[in-house]
Amino acid sequence: MTLLQWQDNFRIGIEEVDHEHRELIELINTLHDSLAADRSAGRVEAFLGEVLTDISAHFALEEKVMRARRYDALAEHKADHERLLDDLRDLMDEQAAGVALDDDRFAARLSAWFGGHFATHDARFHRHLAR
Amino acid sequence: MNALKRLLRAILLRIEAAFEAVFGARLNPITQLGTLGWFLFWIVAASGIYVYIFFDTGVTQAWESLERLTHGQWFAGGIMRSLHRYASDALVVVILLHALREFAMDRMRGNRWFPWVTGIPLLWFVYACGITGYWLVWDELAQYVAVATTEWLDSIGIFAEPIARNFLDSERLSGRFFTLVIYMHIALPLAMLLAMWIHIQRHAHARVNPPRALALGTLGALVALSLAWPAVSQPPADLDRAPFQVGLDWFYLAVYPLLERVPGGTLWLLLVGGSVLLTLLPWLPPLRKAAPARVDLDNCNGCARCFADCPFGAITMVKRTDGLAFEQEAAVDPDLCMSCGICVGACPTATPFRRVGHLSAGIELPDRSVSGLREEVGAASAGISGDARVIVFGCAHDAGCAGLADAETAVVRLPCVGMLPPPFIDLVVMRKQADGVLISGCAGHDCFERLGDQWTEQRIANERDPNLRARVPRDRVAVTWNNPIREGSLRETLVQFRTHLRGLAAAPAPAQPGPSWSAWRARLRGLPAPLRIGGQAVAYAALVGVVGFFATQPAYTYLAHDQALLKLSFSHAGQPLKPCRRYTHEELTSTKFSERSATSCERGRWPVYVELDLDGQPLYRGQHEPAGLWNDGPSTVYARFEVPAGQHRLEARLREDGTADGFNFQSSRTVTLEPGENFVIDFRAAEGGFVFGLPGRADATEDPR
Repeated sequence: MTLLQWQDNFRIGIEEVDHEHRELIELINTLHDSLAADRSAGRVEAFLGEVLTDISAHFALEEKVMRARRYDALAEHKADHERLLDDLRDLMDEQAAGVALDDDRFAARLSAWFGGHFATHDARFHRHLAR
Repeated sequence: MNALKRLLRAILLRIEAAFEAVFGARLNPITQLGTLGWFLFWIVAASGIYVYIFFDTGVTQAWESLERLTHGQWFAGGIMRSLHRYASDALVVVILLHALREFAMDRMRGNRWFPWVTGIPLLWFVYACGITGYWLVWDELAQYVAVATTEWLDSIGIFAEPIARNFLDSERLSGRFFTLVIYMHIALPLAMLLAMWIHIQRHAHARVNPPRALALGTLGALVALSLAWPAVSQPPADLDRAPFQVGLDWFYLAVYPLLERVPGGTLWLLLVGGSVLLTLLPWLPPLRKAAPARVDLDNCNGCARCFADCPFGAITMVKRTDGLAFEQEAAVDPDLCMSCGICVGACPTATPFRRVGHLSAGIELPDRSVSGLREEVGAASAGISGDARVIVFGCAHDAGCAGLADAETAVVRLPCVGMLPPPFIDLVVMRKQADGVLISGCAGHDCFERLGDQWTEQRIANERDPNLRARVPRDRVAVTWNNPIREGSLRETLVQFRTHLRGLAAAPAPAQPGPSWSAWRARLRGLPAPLRIGGQAVAYAALVGVVGFFATQPAYTYLAHDQALLKLSFSHAGQPLKPCRRYTHEELTSTKFSERSATSCERGRWPVYVELDLDGQPLYRGQHEPAGLWNDGPSTVYARFEVPAGQHRLEARLREDGTADGFNFQSSRTVTLEPGENFVIDFRAAEGGFVFGLPGRADATEDPR
C-alpha cells in the first residue's frame, strides 16, 4: 500500500523543490513498505533517521530558496519546519525507548505532516511566487 | 624558527590571558588587534581631513598654519592634530603586535598565506604615510626627515639628480618637492585603504570593527592623551642651520639614526631583504597540509549552508554538474581550504541518526569522516561510566582536552569544534550516551579557524542553522573557550560542569528545567568589577603612555653642539668627449638634404672630477659620471660632512675635460663656521666656478692665490 501520494497541487513551481518533494514522498513510501517485512524498533528508527536526514536537507534548501525570493512568511514557515523535525525526533526517541509503533497512528501522522504542510505553508509560498 | 614561535606564543598567550581577565573575552584587545588597526586608521583619516582644512600647503606657510591650528583652536584643531599623531603611533603598535601574534600563533601558514603576504606592503604603506606626514609640519624634525629621507632615497641611485638637493639650503629650497610630498601624504593612505581591503579579501565575515566599548575606550584614551600632552611642532625649519637635536617619533623614524652609521644602500637592502624574508615566512618550512574538504554530490542539494559558514571563502556555489534537478552544488577550492571541517558541521546531512546505508554527509573531510566520528562517539560513550558521564568535544587548539579523559570523561577531538554537527550533541544527550556534553574550543572570540566559536555558540543558541534542536536540554550542554595555556581553567570548568550535572540528577522533578549552563559559567568567570575597571584603565593608560612618550622621546642628537655641516653639492656637465666639428663639403653633399646638419657632435661627456680640502687635508675626492643613457647629461655631486665649528680654509678643485693633470676650476676660501651652520659649496660655471655659502656672506672672501 502506498502511504503518500504525490499530487500535482503539491507543486510550487520551483523545480529543485518539487523534485525533492517527490523524492521525499518516494523515500517515505519505499521505507514504509520495507517496514512491512521487518518492524523491529531498530528498523523503524533507522527509517525515521533516514527521513530526518533528507527532510533536514530539504528544509535547508527550501529555506535558502525562500530567503533568495524574499518570502515574507519565512519565519512562520521555518517554525513549521522546526515543529516537524522536533516531532520526528520525538518519534525516534520513543522508538529508541521501546514504545511500540502504532501503524495507523504513524501513517496518519505522516500524512498530516505532509498534507498539512503542503496544503498550508507550501501553498502559501507558491502563491507568494506567483505574485 | 619553531623555538622562537613557541617562545613568542607563550608570552603572547599569557598577555592575552591577563587581558582576558580584565577586559573579558569579547573585548580583549589582544584578540582585536586587526580591528583596532582599522579603527585607528579611521581616526587618523578623519583627523587628517580636519587638519588638512586648516593646513597651508606652501612650504614657508605650513609651520605657521599648524601653529595657528594648535594654539588658536586647541579645543578642536589641536585635539585633531594630536589625535592624528597619536592614533598613527598607536596604529604602528597595533599592527606590529598583530603581525607578531599571527606569526606566533601560526595563522599565516599554508593556505592562510594571503593576509600575511598582503600585510607586508601595508607595513611599507604605514611607514611611508608616517614619514611623509612628519615632513609636512616643516619644523626642525621635518627638516631632518626631509634631508635624511632624500639622502636615503638618493642612495638607491634611481634619480637623475640627487633629490636631496631640493633641501640644500634656504636659497635652493624647492617648494615643488614639498608639494609632491603633500600629494603623497594624501595618495598613500588611499592606496593603503585599498591594500587593507585586499588584505581581508580571503576572509569571509572579516572583522573590521572592534567592539564598541573597546573602540570608545581607545578613542577616549587617545583624546585624554591629546588633552594632557598635545602634539606640537618643533621650532620652524631653517635649512641654513642643521638641528642639533630633534624629538624623534620612534614609532615611525626608529631606523633614521641608523642612517648616520650604516650606508643608505645597506639599509635599503636590509629592509627589502627583511620584507622578502617575511613574505616567504608562510612557506618556511612548507606546511604539511590535511586533505581539503570534498563534496559528495549524492548528498548535496545545494542548500549553501557550508558556503555560508566557511571562514575562508573556500566554498563557492556553482551550477549543478550532475544533471539532477538542483540548481547548485557546493565546490571547494583546495587552495583556500584549511580543512577545519566547519563546513561539515554546517551540513544538514551530517547526522548520526542516519542508519540505512553508509553515512556520508554532503561535504566531508577525507581525513575525518562523519561516519568515523559517529563510531568514535559510540566508542567514547561505551568507555565511560558513572553518574555524571561527560563527552568532551575538543578542538586541536584548545587547552589540552586530551588530558581530561578518565573513567567518567571521554574526549573526541576535532580540527575545530565548529566541525561538530549539532545532531551529534542531540544524539549524545537525548540517547543518554553521556550525561552531558562539554565543547572545549580555543580562545573565545579568537577561534583559530576564525568563526568556529561563533557558529558553535549560535547553533547551540538556536540562532543559526543547523541549530541544536530546541528539545535538547541546554543544561546538559556546556561550551568553554580557553586558549592553549589555560588548562587549569578547562579542568575547573569540567569539574564545575560535573557538579552541575550531578545537581540535575538529584533534582526531584525532572520536568523542571535545571539552571542553564550559562548561569554557571557566569559565576565561574572574571575578576570583581572594580578590579576589572581598574585594570582596563591601567591598560589604556599604558597604551597612551607608551604612545605619548615615544612619539617625541628620547630626543635624537643629530649634530654635536660644536659641529657644523658642510655640503658639497652641484650639478655640472663635463666637456664633450670630442669637440664638435663641421661637416666637410663632401660629407654634406653625400647626405640626403633632409638629414643634413652643420656639425657633427658625439654625445658623450667627460666625467667631472672634484676635490675638496679642509685646512689643507683632503676631505673629498670624487669622480662623477655623466647622467643619461648616452652619458651626455650633467654630473651631480652631493656630499655631506660634519666638521668642527670655527675657522677653516676650504679649497675646491674641479676637472671637467679628462685631462691627465691640472684642474679647470679651483678656488679657496677661509670661512668661520658657526656651530650648527649648514654651509653649502656649490659650483656654477656661469658664475665662474665654485660658490661658497649664501650670497653676500661677508667672511667668504676669496683667498689670495
